[in-house]
Amino acid sequence: MEIEVQLTGSPIAENISAPRRAEHGAWLEFRGAVRDEENGEKISGLEYEAYPEMARREIRRILESLAVEHPCLAARVIHRVGIIPVGEAAIYVGIASRHRAEAIALLGEFMNQLKQGVPIWKRRALPVGARLSQPQHVGIIGRAAAGTAALRSLDEALTEIRAHCPPLPPERAPLAEAFDRALRETVCAPEDMPPCDRSTRDGYAILENGGAETFHIVDTLHAADWKPRQLKPGEAVRVATGASLPCGNLRVVMQENVERTGDQIRIVRRETATNINFRGEDLRAGEPLLHTGTKLDAGALALLAATGNVNPLVSPRLRVLHFTTGDEIVPPDQTPKPGQIRDSTSSLVHGLLQHIPCDLTQAHLPENFEHAKRLVSAFSPHPSAFDLLLVSGGASVGEKDFTRPLLQWLGFEIVFSQINIRPGRPLIFGVNDARVAFGLPGNPLSHFVCFHLFVAAALAKLVGQAPATFLRGRLAAKLDGAPNPRETLWPARFNVGQASCRSQTKSSAQAEQRIGDRRDAWPTLTPLKWASSGDVTCLTQTNALIRVPANHGPIETGEEVDFLPTNV
Amino acid sequence: MRILFFAQLKDVTGCDAAEFAPPSPLNCELLWTMLLEKFPGLHPHRGTVRLARNWEYADADALFTNADEVALIPPVSGG
Repeated sequence: MEIEVQLTGSPIAENISAPRRAEHGAWLEFRGAVRDEENGEKISGLEYEAYPEMARREIRRILESLAVEHPCLAARVIHRVGIIPVGEAAIYVGIASRHRAEAIALLGEFMNQLKQGVPIWKRRALPVGARLSQPQHVGIIGRAAAGTAALRSLDEALTEIRAHCPPLPPERAPLAEAFDRALRETVCAPEDMPPCDRSTRDGYAILENGGAETFHIVDTLHAADWKPRQLKPGEAVRVATGASLPCGNLRVVMQENVERTGDQIRIVRRETATNINFRGEDLRAGEPLLHTGTKLDAGALALLAATGNVNPLVSPRLRVLHFTTGDEIVPPDQTPKPGQIRDSTSSLVHGLLQHIPCDLTQAHLPENFEHAKRLVSAFSPHPSAFDLLLVSGGASVGEKDFTRPLLQWLGFEIVFSQINIRPGRPLIFGVNDARVAFGLPGNPLSHFVCFHLFVAAALAKLVGQAPATFLRGRLAAKLDGAPNPRETLWPARFNVGQASCRSQTKSSAQAEQRIGDRRDAWPTLTPLKWASSGDVTCLTQTNALIRVPANHGPIETGEEVDFLPTNV
Repeated sequence: MRILFFAQLKDVTGCDAAEFAPPSPLNCELLWTMLLEKFPGLHPHRGTVRLARNWEYADADALFTNADEVALIPPVSGG
């Protein structure tokens, strides 16, 4: 079933056209309107609040599960939030099906389930005569819609991006295709690890308290053998490294410490170590091996293989669509005419996305809006053809800058369009159901900064990974910048030391304490020269961005700064 | 771990979100203990509030980690 879900802060349109397909025999519409009475009191409106990310998912989940019993072809659900005056629709549902019966059945059941589990609330009733102005905070949607035009601080922008990027539905993938993807379930040890007592040496297993000096060899065990038997005093079993021991209460004497004559051994040197890796010593059955959110590296994949988890639940590969814009851009293999420049952002984005399991499609859009729309339709034939859309250039408000209208044409709601940072002030962020879009500044350095700060935050949320955090370091050279009213992300080169994490978990707090005692162990940062936001040369040196607060600077050598490592 | 509050729970806690950084993953019981310690006003709502983890209702045996977005969902009233 095709499903479209929208939460909106605006009135629901009076006429919503039904999707017309030859197989649609029925198109059923329902509008739920606000009545003039709530709990016996006359009212002038209701204020609704939603948890948008979850509400969209729950609506989708309910429709998908109902479609099993009532096979319908398409569903469109629009729920309005914020203040809704009496008489206006709070919800619109349209269902298409072959015959009317299944659409009617699905609609009734859907509304019942929506009222039981979809996180949308009637926040308050407005008494007759109350002013119907939109409140300051009506949930995430309302807040965003109210302040689209406002400049966002770095922290505000990150909070909004994270709130609007739900993790993509996970899938099961074979180990060979799971590298670098985020685990989306906690995997527990299926059995004790190791599953039995194992020898860590080539030697001879004897009873732990066998006081004898000489022993009779009764058996030989290789790594693959499994031959349980109770050893008696004076008996020894020849064991290889990794061999499963025949019974409990044993120790292994290294072969270097015995003299062997035929089937007899004599211990020539006593050891204190038991030379045994005991059952469950590494992990007990049921204990977590890997937590949800873990990025699966080679070691994690080996552990999954060792425990038989051959189809882990992981994030899907991200489908990314990237468009460059601007008629001044020529492909890198062409010589630019006066006024033209070579396209570097395609290569930049391609490189930056190497760390994320994704399928990237790139193309250049012409400046003619109609031509651009045709090209976009060709790359994105249906709304769910991609998860993340990046548009480079065209993010500011110049006449030819069409990223905003393009995103709106594609059905995206613009959450914000300006960031109070430099470089990289024009940044458009839009959401459309479960998909997100960024309009990035065309300049390579601005692009680089916005990618690491904002796109990376969205990517981490979409694929279910923990977000990157700012670390603490010390300046190895003076950061010679005059105070600027905008927060600045200053390109820098950092030397790997023991970075201290800013999060407040117990272990990192301890690490911070340790590092605090040894200031020389901090990572050091050398600020790089950057003249303008179009500076490509400094990108080759940059591996960190120093966070310089607004109206702050210059910063002297040796002072502490927050920084974000890049290219990781 | 980001905790979100909705509807009347915003009035109870006085905020719409809070950050916690427990040193290890929490089950429902431990999560509630942590929440009630910080926001005792949630006590009367515990029986009716459902927990969501990363935009889905959480199972009774769910574990909540620092990477999770957790939401307290009071009885809903949409539509």
